[in-house]
Amino acid sequence: MKPLNILIASVGGQGGLTLARVLATSAVLQGLSVRTSESLGMAQRYGSVVGYIRIGEEIYSPIFEPGEADYLLGLELNETLRNLHYVKPSGKIIVADEYRPSYEMSMASPNITRNEVISEMLSINPNLLVIPARKIALKLGNPRALNMVILGVFVGLSGIPRIEYVEKAISEILTGISAEISVVAFREGLKFVTKNSLNL
Amino acid sequence: MNLLSPPGTKLALMGNEAIARGAIEAGVKVVTGYPGTPSSEVIMTLHKFSKTLNIYVEWAINERVAFEVAYGASLTGLRAMVTMKAPGLNVASDPIISAAYSGTTGGLVILVADDPGPHTTQTEQDSRWYAKLAKLPMISPSSPQEAKEFTKLAFSISEELELPIFLRTSTRVNHSIGEVLLGEVETLSRFPLFRRNQQRFVRAGMAWNLERHVWLNNQLKKVEEVVGKYYLNKVYGDGKLCVVTEGAAFNYVYEVIKEHEVKAKIIKLGLLYPFPSKFLSKILPECDEVLIVEELDPYLEENIKNTLFDLGLKIKVYGKTTNHIPLEGELNTRIVKKALGLPVESPGKHVHVHPRPPPLCPGCPHRFTFVALKTAIFRSGLKLSEVPIIGDIGCSALSVYQPINMLWTEHSMGASVSMAMGLKIAEYDKPVVAVIGDSTFFHAGIQSLIEAVNKRVDLLILILDNNVVAMTGHQSTPAWDKSETGRILKPVLIEDIVRAIGPDELVIVDPYNLDETTRIMEELLLKPGVKVVIARHACALLEKRLGKPLKTYTVVDERCKGCKSCLISTGCPALYIEGGKAKIITEDCNGCGLCSKFCAYEAIRLLEVSG
Repeated sequence: MKPLNILIASVGGQGGLTLARVLATSAVLQGLSVRTSESLGMAQRYGSVVGYIRIGEEIYSPIFEPGEADYLLGLELNETLRNLHYVKPSGKIIVADEYRPSYEMSMASPNITRNEVISEMLSINPNLLVIPARKIALKLGNPRALNMVILGVFVGLSGIPRIEYVEKAISEILTGISAEISVVAFREGLKFVTKNSLNL
Repeated sequence: MNLLSPPGTKLALMGNEAIARGAIEAGVKVVTGYPGTPSSEVIMTLHKFSKTLNIYVEWAINERVAFEVAYGASLTGLRAMVTMKAPGLNVASDPIISAAYSGTTGGLVILVADDPGPHTTQTEQDSRWYAKLAKLPMISPSSPQEAKEFTKLAFSISEELELPIFLRTSTRVNHSIGEVLLGEVETLSRFPLFRRNQQRFVRAGMAWNLERHVWLNNQLKKVEEVVGKYYLNKVYGDGKLCVVTEGAAFNYVYEVIKEHEVKAKIIKLGLLYPFPSKFLSKILPECDEVLIVEELDPYLEENIKNTLFDLGLKIKVYGKTTNHIPLEGELNTRIVKKALGLPVESPGKHVHVHPRPPPLCPGCPHRFTFVALKTAIFRSGLKLSEVPIIGDIGCSALSVYQPINMLWTEHSMGASVSMAMGLKIAEYDKPVVAVIGDSTFFHAGIQSLIEAVNKRVDLLILILDNNVVAMTGHQSTPAWDKSETGRILKPVLIEDIVRAIGPDELVIVDPYNLDETTRIMEELLLKPGVKVVIARHACALLEKRLGKPLKTYTVVDERCKGCKSCLISTGCPALYIEGGKAKIITEDCNGCGLCSKFCAYEAIRLLEVSG
């Protein structure tokens, strides 16, 4: 198995690092080697956050370089666009339809719209799926479960890691009600793939 | 994830959790430190097991005090660990350097986390030099698995040598998750004992100091042999090209050489000080060329050149001094490939997107304090460009970003008050404001305040008290009545300390009362003397985490005129503009209502009270 490089682009507080942790834990439960890392900008919330996950048989480096990501999982549109250069020509992008411009983006005039971000990404890499993750998470009563919806879509499409390990990892990492909602949100993500016969 | 799983269990652990497990496996009894990214999770992880395993695990007021506590504990023969980020080692360096002469009896591990990048640190400090300066052994792991192993071994090495030992890590080890195979937990039943030995422990006797220096140098001569038993230095592959590396950089070297089948010998050093010259003297003669791949300063490079000189070998050395490896920033596989003359992947198209630096959080009380200060400066007929705001480490420093944009300096823990004082001593003729957070004040601000009061300068000092070490992930401060482990504490109150020091004015205000805060600052700004304002309101994120009911605001779309006043005045990250109108991310809004104060159209309304 060649190492699988996954990049998670998010805004601090969206659960990008929790998503990385779930993926890493489930890969280890499956008996695989894993390394993760992160770029926080600073140790606080609401800034750009990038998570790196590498899964394979024997992994050493916890990071990878632009042009080396097999998958880019985006929890926010602008952050996904910012990190698009990480994706391999054959790489794939799964992004939540979540639009949260930063202060500077909001002050820019005219500021780039949701649809402009999507079309710019599509023009660069057509292997892109935009998922109504917030809507799905809101139906479950918690918009914060958006990260687990994206996880479900990723696992549904890639088959990595195996579903039972992901669910086990979620319940090991999260506790109580957030674990319950997260498992449901993850399953909703899986369902979204089959219901819409998605492929990338 | 259960860190107390039996030996043989494989877990996905972050480097810092692996270090925590390593300390548990070594039977550690006292762990302390000061929060600092990327080192904080070691203690945060151990907190959970303090009661079960009967370990003292508590934050200390600063790194110096933390080291001294751990050192004292280790002198009783128990195992102790102290954790800090790189600048924390500067704070702790005084007692550490003296402790090298006295040595220890129980294993004493000093974890110091460097931050190549830098990601979260004011400098790219290379703490490896400290080992040489303090004359104490230093080891450095490359992966979470090694982080656990090296931690456990560090205690044994420390005891064998009777010396404190540095466990030196970097961000890509501390904050990296990897599979970790758990080992046996040692059960040490040691009775704390401290034998009186003045020659050894009193550094006031100069003859004794000279004697201990001889002892220390002798101990250092034994390090390579003692550490050699544990095979911390490793060799991979074969070839006439030798690549010397250590720490996180090893991972990039190993992957590149394996992937491209480069004929090279990787020499991975786990022992950094004393430099393992004996080990290298067996390998270096077989090399035609040496490439040194290391992060931060050319530490290995200097030492390799010394070793080659001593061996009488004339071998070409490539590294930072030959510009094959950069002197700044962190390394990666791309840099290693370039240094080895290998092709690199071309990255995809890079689209410029406006940056998103970390702002003050929604509901942050500091935002109110800075808005009040800004208004007070204007009302006093002064310009923002003439009132220096001398800042300090912590969340309050995030006020440097637009649109709050207040800080003029941010330097090192506690520097705000003393640097501001320096400006006044130099007779800077406009008011000067020092801004410091509560935990930074505890850490290193108290002496500065004594200095300012004692020397009678004119200074406005704002202590931004959100009752927590917020920036590093909500750790306790000395003002708490109960620690993370449930230990009952005697709260030490900032106002009591400040009163005892005796500034000319002391006011405590809740910054959420914006008008009152503004009025107080306006009143004090131009007054002579040392004026201290404690702006006290709990961290909004902590309140939320503790489940306190929070209000949420929303924008009434038809009333919003798109003037952006709410955003320009606050820079709140729960606010954004879409389609020319303001929006609020309801799950991020912490209900402070500051934005609504700046809306002339009453478009921002209270939505609900949730909890």
